[in-house]
Amino acid sequence: MPSVSNPHKTNEIAVSVRDLGLIYTTAIDRRPTLKARLKAFGRGGKQTRVIHALDHVNLDVEYGHVLGIIGTNGAGKSSLMRVMAGIVPPTQGRVEVFGSVSTLLALGVGFNPSMSGRDNVYLGGLAAGMSREEIDAHFEEIAQFSELGEAIDAPMRTYSSGMYARLAFSVAATVRPDILIVDEALSTGDAKFKEKSLNRIKELRSDDRALILVSHAMATLLDVCNDIAWIHKGKLIMRGEPNIVINAYREFLQVGKSAAIDEDV
Amino acid sequence: MSTPLQVYEPFRAGLPPLRKYWKSLWSRRTFIAEYSRSELREQHFDSVFGQLWLILNPLLLSAVYFLLIVIIRGSSDSTRYAHLTATLFLFYLVSNSLTGGVKSITAGQRLILNTAFPRIMLPISAVVISIIKFLPTLAVFLVIRAFLGLPFDWQMLWAIPVLLISVLLALGLAITISCINVYFRDIANFLPYMTRTLLYLSPILYEASDLKPKLKTLELFNPLFPILDSWSRALVHGQTPHLSHLLIAFGWALGIFLIGTYFFLSREREFAVRL
Repeated sequence: MPSVSNPHKTNEIAVSVRDLGLIYTTAIDRRPTLKARLKAFGRGGKQTRVIHALDHVNLDVEYGHVLGIIGTNGAGKSSLMRVMAGIVPPTQGRVEVFGSVSTLLALGVGFNPSMSGRDNVYLGGLAAGMSREEIDAHFEEIAQFSELGEAIDAPMRTYSSGMYARLAFSVAATVRPDILIVDEALSTGDAKFKEKSLNRIKELRSDDRALILVSHAMATLLDVCNDIAWIHKGKLIMRGEPNIVINAYREFLQVGKSAAIDEDV
Repeated sequence: MSTPLQVYEPFRAGLPPLRKYWKSLWSRRTFIAEYSRSELREQHFDSVFGQLWLILNPLLLSAVYFLLIVIIRGSSDSTRYAHLTATLFLFYLVSNSLTGGVKSITAGQRLILNTAFPRIMLPISAVVISIIKFLPTLAVFLVIRAFLGLPFDWQMLWAIPVLLISVLLALGLAITISCINVYFRDIANFLPYMTRTLLYLSPILYEASDLKPKLKTLELFNPLFPILDSWSRALVHGQTPHLSHLLIAFGWALGIFLIGTYFFLSREREFAVRL
């Protein structure tokens, strides 16, 4: 549950991840169907795929810190975030969360595109366990921060991806969670909004909240993070000073300090 | 160090801690109310014509089926029409729960991938929506009934337990089918055939007593049969329903609800990776 005043102190543990493993089976087809299953029955074809998403990950996140998570596509970054948020249960290990978590995983808010932004904010908040009064209290600020204006009452299917991202970020950052998880959502806003959200992130950091940013934008991460973790194929490869880890990661990618990795596209 | 607010550990197969689950579900009951309301608003049931449609649609349906009865049987009377409307409207409560529930999990994909909450809220909301759609049709039925000049009777109150049993059955069916749809996405395509079969197997276009003795076994496999028969007895004929029918109906509803919920709860933790 979100709290407005923050009871936590700097360097206190916010999230503790111990020996975390995540293995899951998923359907090969995007739409698994009975028809496909019946057809494959005779041939004995495989319908599911086992994915080893995380492997013995140990990670502590402290209050007052911004932890950046980097890694190639499919490295397990989003899986780690989902486990921390309690969306997917781990297969192995233990995650302890000392505070309220607000997630902004890959454009979280707005599950029903035919409903208005306002309805979606309320529904998302209620589903996350907030009370209607809490959302009422925050709604003005959310609408203001997102700069959507009248569009907040338009169906979300009419939104551009930037508007989507702006609303999602506004919700996550406005309810002032103890722990904020942002998964590649900053990159869709325009420059002005990006700056605004980075400022909000710094504000939350100085307010002794814990932030976890998943991003491919190295420049952004260098700017706001004081800690970087690099994940590759489900394993934690390196964790520490932003400069050191990012340089190692760049070297690994063998692209050096090129524009492609510096700028988020 | 303080105690953690949340601990996430590997889960064993089977049910999550039920007390905790229930608490977390109960604390989100406003979500169910709000979701149903915005869903209805989105389907324009907050406007005058939308609400009119809620009443017109079942009326037109019952008119079409009544025409069918008249043509097939060659004759009909007002009691038959009352029976048809009463049972048809209750049937639509259950069938709307099924059609609304089947995609509730897959349509809530975005929410499920991004928020931790009891997934069972989504099919429950679908049932709440069909209850809200059902209530005006119940009023319409009572008007029709009064209009047809059928006497009102205290025995009609037996309809209340029958309605509660139907809601339990609707919940069980919606929860089960929403879970099945995660694994077999084409189940929604089969659904119209299933509900249509159920419609013809149920005493709606005919009365339970009309059924030929040879076909009596059909009753056994249809949970709606005792429900709709009891409903018609109480609401149309003003009689006490058979106790055995009530018990069989309740047994069916509770059984489907418990099995479906067990199935759902033990599976819901992997929905996020299956969507």
